[in-house]
Amino acid sequence: MINYEEFKLENGLKVIFHQDKTTPLAVLNVLYDVGARDEVESRTGFAHLFEHLMFGGSKNIPNFDPPLQMAGGECNAFTSNDITNYYNTLPAQNIETAFWLESDRMMELAFTPKSLEVQRGVVIEEFKQRYLNQPYGDVWLNFRPLIYKNHPYKWATIGKEIEHIEKATMEDVKAFFFKHYSPQNAILVVGGNLELTDVKQMAEKWFGPIPAREKYVRNIPAEPEQTEARELVLERDVPSEAIYMAFRMGSRTTTEHFTGDLCSDIIAGSKSSRLYNRLVVEEKKFSSISAYITGGLEEGLFVVSGHLNKDVTFEEAEAAIWESLEELQVELMDPKELTKVKNKHKTSKVFSEQRLLNRVMNIAFFENMGELDEINNVLENYDRITAEDIQDFSKRIFARNRQSVLKVKTKK
Amino acid sequence: MNRSIAPDYTQAENLAIQFPEKIQLAEGIQLFWMKDVKDDSVKLDIEWRAGSKYQAKKLVASFTNKLVLSGDENKPSSAIQEEIDYYGGFLQHELDRDHAGLVLYGLRDNIAKVFGIVTEALATVSFPEKQFEKERRVATMAFNIESKKVKNLCQRRFNLAVFGEESAYGKSADEADFAAVERQDLNDFYQAIYQEGTPIVFLVGNVEAAFIEELKTWAQSFRPKTNNYTAQLSRQEKGRIANIVVEDALQSAIRIGRLMFNKTHPDYFGFQVLNTVLGGYFGSRLMANIREDKGYTYGIGSDLAVMEDAAYFIISTEVGIDVREETLQEVFNEIERLQNELISEEELSKVKNYLLGDFLRQADGPIAMMENFKNIHFNELPRTYYSDFIHAIHTTTAVELQNLAIKYLQREDLTIVTAG
Repeated sequence: MINYEEFKLENGLKVIFHQDKTTPLAVLNVLYDVGARDEVESRTGFAHLFEHLMFGGSKNIPNFDPPLQMAGGECNAFTSNDITNYYNTLPAQNIETAFWLESDRMMELAFTPKSLEVQRGVVIEEFKQRYLNQPYGDVWLNFRPLIYKNHPYKWATIGKEIEHIEKATMEDVKAFFFKHYSPQNAILVVGGNLELTDVKQMAEKWFGPIPAREKYVRNIPAEPEQTEARELVLERDVPSEAIYMAFRMGSRTTTEHFTGDLCSDIIAGSKSSRLYNRLVVEEKKFSSISAYITGGLEEGLFVVSGHLNKDVTFEEAEAAIWESLEELQVELMDPKELTKVKNKHKTSKVFSEQRLLNRVMNIAFFENMGELDEINNVLENYDRITAEDIQDFSKRIFARNRQSVLKVKTKK
Repeated sequence: MNRSIAPDYTQAENLAIQFPEKIQLAEGIQLFWMKDVKDDSVKLDIEWRAGSKYQAKKLVASFTNKLVLSGDENKPSSAIQEEIDYYGGFLQHELDRDHAGLVLYGLRDNIAKVFGIVTEALATVSFPEKQFEKERRVATMAFNIESKKVKNLCQRRFNLAVFGEESAYGKSADEADFAAVERQDLNDFYQAIYQEGTPIVFLVGNVEAAFIEELKTWAQSFRPKTNNYTAQLSRQEKGRIANIVVEDALQSAIRIGRLMFNKTHPDYFGFQVLNTVLGGYFGSRLMANIREDKGYTYGIGSDLAVMEDAAYFIISTEVGIDVREETLQEVFNEIERLQNELISEEELSKVKNYLLGDFLRQADGPIAMMENFKNIHFNELPRTYYSDFIHAIHTTTAVELQNLAIKYLQREDLTIVTAG
């Protein structure tokens, strides 16, 4: 059970406090409701590049990290297609340092040319390290535009190409800041060994003076329903052939999210899953297989992927996966199998809520979805799913004319 | 309000370290139990002295560890996994050069079930042919994928250079080794190292007393024998050892390091502080120079790692292929700066405060506390280790750190490997 108290500042900033008296630490987390989905196609990778620039100094503080480290703190951030999230963990008595730092960069960045130049270089190296200089690293760079034709989910958070990052200008940076980094577009969550009155006072003191800015209204092009099977073959210098199969499904806020999550666990979520036993152990077609959902806020994807064993053809591999998907459509599953995947969620939830940082981030994430009151109902949402729901989901989602398939062939 | 002035802060206070209760499960077999847990979670960690250094043939320790729940004729692996999952248990196989074992994650009301399934499987495992061949296919494929990454090629060559080919820490497998492992190797290793070994158990969870009795019953089944393992001395090859050429690579991996001392050495705490200054946190000099000033890399860091029979210092990064030599030069510039100039009081306080805060982060909650205890236990450190460490952080001076940089970071004592 995660406890929380909400309040709002006059400038529109939502603040949530989560008390935990058992830790000597405190966390301050700021979520901005901006991600790669808010970029334009000719300037991708920008939300993420911007996240790097947020550490390059703000109006009154030349460098973000040193004062935080001086107060015993540590920080980091991440960007996804949906959101950008910043977090600071420090000894509870020094939490005000984080209020000071985070509020100053929400107030205004320093916008130094040096920071832009250096972070362009850093992000380009990140691009190479994670996406280009690794086997299978560029799969999602190529897969997204196969699945999406209109929607900004068609590019990865890192961007479509390195050139977009190279071309980013200071005007772009400033415009992006004032458009997206306003108090109305942010959620502040503070957690740890603190008192509500102190949190309120510090929030008012540091974030209160930030002026409200024009509210950004998201207007994202819709992706039409997919009506034909799509396929892309990449030829790469990789040790084994690999297949990725994706089906579009409901967003993180739909019931389909929970059904899809359990369904992916049943198919290939663990060593007792259907595909692992069949395809890796018994039929020896794959050396690894996995299934998961992406949980996007706009919409989700159901993904099955695996590495093929030598001498197994793509046709055989695809047919083997389809056999399992069709089985779910035709045969109602044994309730015991469903209980199994639900039970695993019960255990992992307890462990995932042990860390203060996870609880605080989760609060920010649920508030951003507009569903903070659902944060303690997650297990009930899984429990409610029936074998019939899984069957319905499978019939609706797994269709040949709804699939996108990417194959990585080994270069001969 | 003047926003350019930082709010007041104070140094993190000393840790209230908690130690687990020690219970003798059977002759020579110990349980360490942390029961003060506020939720229903239970983490059970069973470890043996079964790391890769004990194997006579490459990969045997790893195959054995991954297949300890592979079942027998009566109960296949799939049935074991099915039951563990049904009760909501999670299982992790753990292996490093010194230790190997299993970690079970469960809840108060299911941990006994999960433990029962696991221990029954451990008692009867026969490493069936089908499971063994599956593991060979899966592990070979994973190895081939990892071998495409410049960081792994670099690290393997670095290990060989720093520890030498005689040392178990210097060895790494190649593809032919995967074909050479046999089922019988696993059976032999399992019997000698696991069944005739001495497991040690770490339990974090508010479990019933009856569960402790189950652990005791299980522990009676072991027949521990003395293991006469003698470590081969590590022999470091110094200098710029190798540049592994990888066609079409976009980045070059760099590893620079040397053999070091263990955690009981009088210079250990001081060197940890020096390591933090150089490359141990986000604000380190290497990050400030090579990432935040030059933009050559996504990340660079350094570490002092201690194993049972050897310890080493390492700097690691991946940089653009065209700036490899510039990066090496900058790394040595930073090392020389530590040798030639005193660290400012401001920077030293920042590092000290950061480290003190980090002790709090590393000890938050009973699971983290148990990890700290394992460090004390396996490295045979005094119970005052963490308070000694914190005391050393408070008292370390810039002059001491300069002397340590001169003593331990001479260029001719370092091994350098690049790949890309």
